[in-house]
Amino acid sequence: MRLLIVEDDPKLAEFVARGLRAELYAVDVAGDGREGQRYINTYEYDLLILDLMLPFINGSELLRRVRQSHPSLPVLVLTARDAIEEKVRHFEAGADDYLTKPFDFAELVVRVKALLRRTPVERTDVLLFSDIELNRLTREVRRDGQRIELTGKEYALLEYLLSSPCRVFSRTMILQRVWDQSFEGVTNIVDVYVRHLRRKVDDGFPVKLIHTVRGVGYCVRESESAIAPDVQ
Amino acid sequence: MNHRSLAFRLAVWYALLMSVTFALVGTGMLYGLTQYVRSSMGDSLRRRSVQVERILEQAPAGVTDSAIAESINTRVAPEFNNRFVRVTRAPAALVYRSGVPADRSFDPQGVPAFGSPWPIKKVTRSTVSAEGHELILSTTPLVTSSGQYLIELGASLEPIETLRQRQLALLGLLLPALVICAAGGGYLLVNWALRPVDRMSQTAAHMSLRNLEARLPVSPTGDALERLSLALNQLLARLRDSLRTSRRFLADASHELRTPLTIIKGELQEIVGKQVLQGEVRDRLGSVLEEVARLEHLVAGLLVLSRLDAGEVQRDWAELDLAELTLSTAEQMRLMAEDRGIKFDTRTLVPRVIRGDRARLRQVIVNLLDNAIRFTPRGGIVTLRSSQNNLHSMLEVRDTGIGIPAAALPHVFDRFFRVDEARSREDGGAGLGLSIAKSICSAHGAQILVDSELGWGSCFCLMFPRLPKGDNPGGSASQPERARQERRGVCWPSRYCHRRPRSSHHHVFVRQHRHIRWDAPTLLALSN
Repeated sequence: MRLLIVEDDPKLAEFVARGLRAELYAVDVAGDGREGQRYINTYEYDLLILDLMLPFINGSELLRRVRQSHPSLPVLVLTARDAIEEKVRHFEAGADDYLTKPFDFAELVVRVKALLRRTPVERTDVLLFSDIELNRLTREVRRDGQRIELTGKEYALLEYLLSSPCRVFSRTMILQRVWDQSFEGVTNIVDVYVRHLRRKVDDGFPVKLIHTVRGVGYCVRESESAIAPDVQ
Repeated sequence: MNHRSLAFRLAVWYALLMSVTFALVGTGMLYGLTQYVRSSMGDSLRRRSVQVERILEQAPAGVTDSAIAESINTRVAPEFNNRFVRVTRAPAALVYRSGVPADRSFDPQGVPAFGSPWPIKKVTRSTVSAEGHELILSTTPLVTSSGQYLIELGASLEPIETLRQRQLALLGLLLPALVICAAGGGYLLVNWALRPVDRMSQTAAHMSLRNLEARLPVSPTGDALERLSLALNQLLARLRDSLRTSRRFLADASHELRTPLTIIKGELQEIVGKQVLQGEVRDRLGSVLEEVARLEHLVAGLLVLSRLDAGEVQRDWAELDLAELTLSTAEQMRLMAEDRGIKFDTRTLVPRVIRGDRARLRQVIVNLLDNAIRFTPRGGIVTLRSSQNNLHSMLEVRDTGIGIPAAALPHVFDRFFRVDEARSREDGGAGLGLSIAKSICSAHGAQILVDSELGWGSCFCLMFPRLPKGDNPGGSASQPERARQERRGVCWPSRYCHRRPRSSHHHVFVRQHRHIRWDAPTLLALSN
């Protein structure tokens, strides 16, 4: 899979490229709109990550041109502007997804993967990790065969964490997925729910599954060794 | 009538000035008139006395006094003319004295004899009193071949007195009438002259920070009023420009901070995620990341504010039930509250339909609930209540928390304002939540009010403009139900955001809140 990042801030571009390369993608970086256009015309890409504020040819214009020349190339737009009308405008102009700075890299990876899958996400009905089992049809959660009663929010939280085990989800990502954007700023709401969830899922089991990565967020993991000490 | 108004005061001054002027002019005129009549009366007496002189001079030697008297009676006819005539020959012989005048205004016998001793040289004029009647007396000495004479002619002063009385009465009637006219006219005139000022203040009252484009009406009169409106308009233009600059700065700054924040966060998260670090370093990095997260929230908040300042479009507005939105939000935060031993009381939430942006309004409710939870000690209760009056649909969030000091109340909606640095910082509050709430409310044409008592709790109240009746299926409280609510005090003071609440409103509020006193100046300060 080959990706192109068109981003005029070299540090940001480099950091995103490095992260994506670590995910085993081939990544090219273009520093401005004109260069980006040249890359697109020259090589075959599977995904374009596009900043909107670009020198020479701005992102919106580039997006319009790409849509004409490469109608099926998925485009993920990065921008510092997150007004709703702006979002609508760019979806109309052909962006496939939209990420507002400052974003979590984990979030970027999730979106990139979703865009590259092309086919609709294959949704498994039962999420299995370690000795925990989450049934999406019956909304039942069992650990070691033992049924765990969860409230709606706790269930949604656990489902989200289990959707990608070992990946660290930031509080912002969790808030946006499990609550909605209105709750941004109410920082400890996630902590409270995680604490409750942890009490139900981990208490009484020797292996703890829900872990806090301080400053980053939460993840579901088995191994204790390499994980940050739980500060909560 | 407002007793302190410019028009009233000017009218009073007018009236005072006018009455003093009229009184002075009237007194002067009256005095002048009296003096004039008196002197012309004296002159006429003098002319008569010349007639008498002539009779005496022309009288042949040896003529009898009665002949002289006869001659005076015929030629001067003093009784008929209401005059007093007395002719005395030196040393003390009365030659002639006129009889009782036709109008019986005085008694000639009562007129005292001339006081000065002989010989008398000068023509004099004097006022004498004859048994209570004032007379003006002209005295002329005359020396003829038949001896020395003293001719006295007099007339009653009563006509002058009558004239004076009449003039006084007239003045007494005219003066109040004039004063009333002057005061009334002055009042009307001043009001008329101040009309442009009224128009200016009306225009100014409709301006807000969102609407600084309007300008005051300028009447091309070339006077102080025109200069005032021009100067104010220039001031408004400068205000608008500086506001634009600061808003642009806010937007640009929060915007520009986002890319570096992404990089810092990404790089740090990557390092932390690499799992090669030892405990202390990772812990410190985690602490830095927490600060980055706070910065991120701050920047997001600033951006929200700058967008609200710029007047976000109302594309996503729809009708929604305030109570339902509040309830669902509260449900999502209930665990958070229970975690702190705080209960939500939502029993008084009844459907109230308003128009607005659901996501934004949810943010307001989240901010208010978050605040309530943060500042309420264990065991507290957060009460959510919706209500309405003729003009507003209202939502109230009341807690039994630590409260806000009175001095801080007017500032709680200011950006970055913290009542107490220590207590909010540990919770990660940036001091933007309430100002975002206020901005969102203003964008919805709603008011947000606060009152609080230290140690007892705080109460935030949102007042949304009520939808027209036909459009309000949610306000479906039946007629008896509504009446019951209103009896219970769910009737809110109408327009109380614009005016100082009257005592009765105040009372209603206190009754609902028991421990919370809504302080009128605070309400006033917060409402604009």
